[in-house]
Amino acid sequence: MASIELRSVSRIFGAGAQAIRAVDRIDLRVEDGEFMIFLGPSGCGKSTTLRMIAGLEPVSEGELLIDGVRVNDIDPAERDLAIVFQNYALYPHMSVRKNMAFGLKLRGMAEAEIGSRIARVAETLGVEALLDRRPAQLSGGQRQRVALGRALVREPRAFLLDEPLSNLDAKLRSVMRTELIKLHRTLGTTMIHVTHDQVEAMTMGTRICIMRGGEIVQVGRPQDVYREPVDTFVAGFLATPPMNLLPARLDVADGALRLRIEGQEIALPLASRPGWARHAGRDVILGLRPEDLHEAPVGAATAALDCTIETVEALGPETILTLRLGRDGTELAARLPPEGDWRIGAALRLHADTSKLHLFDPETTRSIPGN
Amino acid sequence: MERRDRRFGWMLSAPGLLLLGAVVLFPIVWAGLTSFFDYTLLMPGYDSFVGIGNYRMAAGQGEFLHSAWITLLFVVAVVAIQFVIGMVVALALNDARRGKSVYYLILLCPLLINPVVVGLMWRMILHPTLGIVNWLLGTVGIAPVNWLGAPDMAFWTVVLVDIWHQVSFMVVLLLAGLSALPTEPYEAARCDGATAFQRFWHITLPLMRPVIIVTLLIRMIFAIKTYDIIYIMTRGGPGVATDLISYFIYRRAFVSLDLGQACAMAVMLLVVIAGMTAMLWRAMRQVGE
Amino acid sequence: MRPHILIPFGAFAMGAGAVQAQSINILMEAVPDTTYVQELLPEFEEATGIDVNLEVVNYAEMHTKLVPQLVSNSGSYSAIVVDFYWVGEFYRAGWMQPLDDRIEADGFDTSVYVPAMMDLVGEVEGTTYMLPFYNYAMGLLYRTDLLEDEANRTAWKEEHGSELRPPETWDEYRDQVAFFTKDGIYGVVNQGLRPDPIAMEWSNYLFAHGGTFMDETWHATFNSDEGVAALKAYIANIDQYGPVGAASFSFDEAFNVFSQGQAYSYITYNFFRAAVDDPSQSSVAGAAEIMGVPGPTPGEGGSLNGAWGWAIPRSSPDPDAAWEFLKWVESPEIAKRRALMGGSPTRLDVFDDAEVIAEYPQTEALKELLLGAHNFPTFTYTPQFVEVLGRELSLAVAGEKSAREALDAAAEEFDALAERDGRRG
Repeated sequence: MASIELRSVSRIFGAGAQAIRAVDRIDLRVEDGEFMIFLGPSGCGKSTTLRMIAGLEPVSEGELLIDGVRVNDIDPAERDLAIVFQNYALYPHMSVRKNMAFGLKLRGMAEAEIGSRIARVAETLGVEALLDRRPAQLSGGQRQRVALGRALVREPRAFLLDEPLSNLDAKLRSVMRTELIKLHRTLGTTMIHVTHDQVEAMTMGTRICIMRGGEIVQVGRPQDVYREPVDTFVAGFLATPPMNLLPARLDVADGALRLRIEGQEIALPLASRPGWARHAGRDVILGLRPEDLHEAPVGAATAALDCTIETVEALGPETILTLRLGRDGTELAARLPPEGDWRIGAALRLHADTSKLHLFDPETTRSIPGN
Repeated sequence: MERRDRRFGWMLSAPGLLLLGAVVLFPIVWAGLTSFFDYTLLMPGYDSFVGIGNYRMAAGQGEFLHSAWITLLFVVAVVAIQFVIGMVVALALNDARRGKSVYYLILLCPLLINPVVVGLMWRMILHPTLGIVNWLLGTVGIAPVNWLGAPDMAFWTVVLVDIWHQVSFMVVLLLAGLSALPTEPYEAARCDGATAFQRFWHITLPLMRPVIIVTLLIRMIFAIKTYDIIYIMTRGGPGVATDLISYFIYRRAFVSLDLGQACAMAVMLLVVIAGMTAMLWRAMRQVGE
Repeated sequence: MRPHILIPFGAFAMGAGAVQAQSINILMEAVPDTTYVQELLPEFEEATGIDVNLEVVNYAEMHTKLVPQLVSNSGSYSAIVVDFYWVGEFYRAGWMQPLDDRIEADGFDTSVYVPAMMDLVGEVEGTTYMLPFYNYAMGLLYRTDLLEDEANRTAWKEEHGSELRPPETWDEYRDQVAFFTKDGIYGVVNQGLRPDPIAMEWSNYLFAHGGTFMDETWHATFNSDEGVAALKAYIANIDQYGPVGAASFSFDEAFNVFSQGQAYSYITYNFFRAAVDDPSQSSVAGAAEIMGVPGPTPGEGGSLNGAWGWAIPRSSPDPDAAWEFLKWVESPEIAKRRALMGGSPTRLDVFDDAEVIAEYPQTEALKELLLGAHNFPTFTYTPQFVEVLGRELSLAVAGEKSAREALDAAAEEFDALAERDGRRG
């Protein structure tokens, strides 16, 4: 059980003019028992950060604390954390049982205790039948379970998961996702899970830490990050299809906010977003989630947008439409109920839920607060 | 269809197999045959069959048995020390980020030198009164070392020279094996709490097992055949301290001209090498399981 | 105009003739005497039209290279050079052609050779198989500058009551070895490497102590009290009066110690005498001389004989051309010219030649040395005996056996080899 704290931590590769800051002065506190997700595109520094926590990468600058103790110079062996790697990193020459026992033996644990721990974990993960096999004789999913098992038997202070599900096929991935969530609930141990998959991020974590270019962009509970992205990057990264981002111009007239979007206009009462008034007369980016577009007006706070249908993806429980604003304007997506008769090339009037609108500053890409 | 493929395969490999048979098998069979005759170069011919007489004579000959014993010591010393040095150097080089090719080049240099030249070179360097080594030792007040003139010392000198000459073979092979190892298990082991030595012992050694087997085997067989260095440096002396078996057999064939006995000894050596190979192979496999 | 047309024709005809039949191969050792032959070869080729290809290799390779060619019915060497200790083996295997008929037909005079040379590398059992090529009898190289040094002379006289001079007996030499071992100089440097360097060198010690290798009936006698004394003296020289490591020296390493001025004396092959005066390889040029190894009394020598002979192998592809070459290379004129270039003669007429003596004043000493030299036993198993003797001597030097044990072991094997060779009649 551990809290993990990063204080202005950097990882710098190279030196002098060629120095690259793979992780740039990040501050983060992962609470004890939390399931923290590091989310971001590849190269954003999320894996490097995890490896610094594990002790596999040195901390170039700043301080790393586990349970309030500075561990910058502590050997990974003594941090008592377990890491699960993307490519499993099993010991190829050892049986599954030995793979799991290795870390325990090194710690001088009694054989009996090792045996009972392995039995327990093997049962949890359903790998009892595989204990005497070599990694080469296992499927990808089985290997992943074993890798997880190797971490579990250790009963460490925290689990570090480095994209552990990305090599699995879609079905297995969702199964393992559920199992990890259950595991976290049962164990209550701190977990940090690195991923670039926003579904994993949204479903598994108690909090998400979104990173880009070695910096943390936003940290928060999944719903909060989803609902209130701090900038266009977060807005565009979470969820598929992501938030629609439309160039617009904001004006205030007659006590109303008026957004002109490629010749169409959305109006909403000034009182609902008084903060936006400060950006009146300027270009802005309008953010609109696909699920906030509807075929029919939703209550009073709706605004109509005329579009043209470009593609139709019927997914079963819902249908995703890709559209053009007007006839051939900016592309946007809408998430609609499955039933409907849509033809490609046809015109379609959509109704946006104006209470769910986001505005971003095109220069800073930051969100413009409504109040 | 499949059978035709197979026949075609045999046809393709037949010339190679025949050539191999002619080049490799023929001399062995010839030596085996000759070992049962009183065949000398003075009177070459298969007129007098002596059965296992040559073998019995060799086995009862003190000098031959002594040579075999010395050779065993030599092989064990040379291969063991070379393996340890080779492993340490290879591990160090494997971690080197820069200049690996330069190290490679420097390391390969001794290996590229003809063993005769190596022997002559070291005889000069180790010359007790005129050589540079004893001169250097003298500058720090160490009395001249009798490198090749005292029995025990001569044995270890030859061992050292052979190590100098051949150790890079170990380094290069082991290094190739090390750099082909996956890195992930090491990181997993670090998190599992393994020290550097434990990682070496539990990860590197087992993963390197096939490379180590092959390297040890090749080196061992080369070491058993060591001849040039002995010929140049000691001629088996002083006394019989460095009288390795290959040099012994060579003299039996080309000084005594007694091919029958030389062949018998060579066949015995072959059997021993084959046996050692099989034993090592099995031992290493058991360790792995 | 005419000569211009004719010359290429003539050259063509000569070239074709030479290629067709008259071309002979000879395997030789890389030593100074081979170089002298090489330099004179163009004259032979011009005179006879026979091309001679000398294949020059190290001693170590010679026997190994020769044997397969000699065993086969048609070898690649028309003529060969034979080291004295292969003679018995080559004779026994029938690898050499008798030369008597050719000698008689051409009236070649073999009486001018030093008799010991003819015994060693000329005749076997009354038949001539070889012509002696050059000798490498061993002698005592010693430092004249040390003998002439006033301080040394005074000290010696105080110690021994006699004049310091080149030793006349072994005992005198032994005292000098002890006397000169001081001030960073060694009394002697030895060549203790197995097998031939130590076996050959120790033979001098054996003869100098009045010992012999065997009696008339081919029974070993070198394990006598004289032999044991000789071996003990040899060990004492290495251990007490020589440089560290002499037990493993080959002759070149031992010579280096001597030529760097670090030793008073060195018993070695006489061809090193010329090298001593070569400033490029010696720092004692003009300060060393050679003499026969002193024996038990002033009249007796203790030197070991050694020589190479020319022979025509039975497998020679062109024995006639080979004989032409032998006749030429051993003719009085060429033999003398080789000696003038620095060669080691085998013929008395060359030893006595005024021009040669004028060029090399040590020639007379070398003749004395040769006349007083003793032969090594030559029989079928000489190489094997050298092997055995070298091993046992080396064991004694290494302290693994006593002198007596080592010599007894070698003597036992010698008797067995002689027996096997049918020497017991």
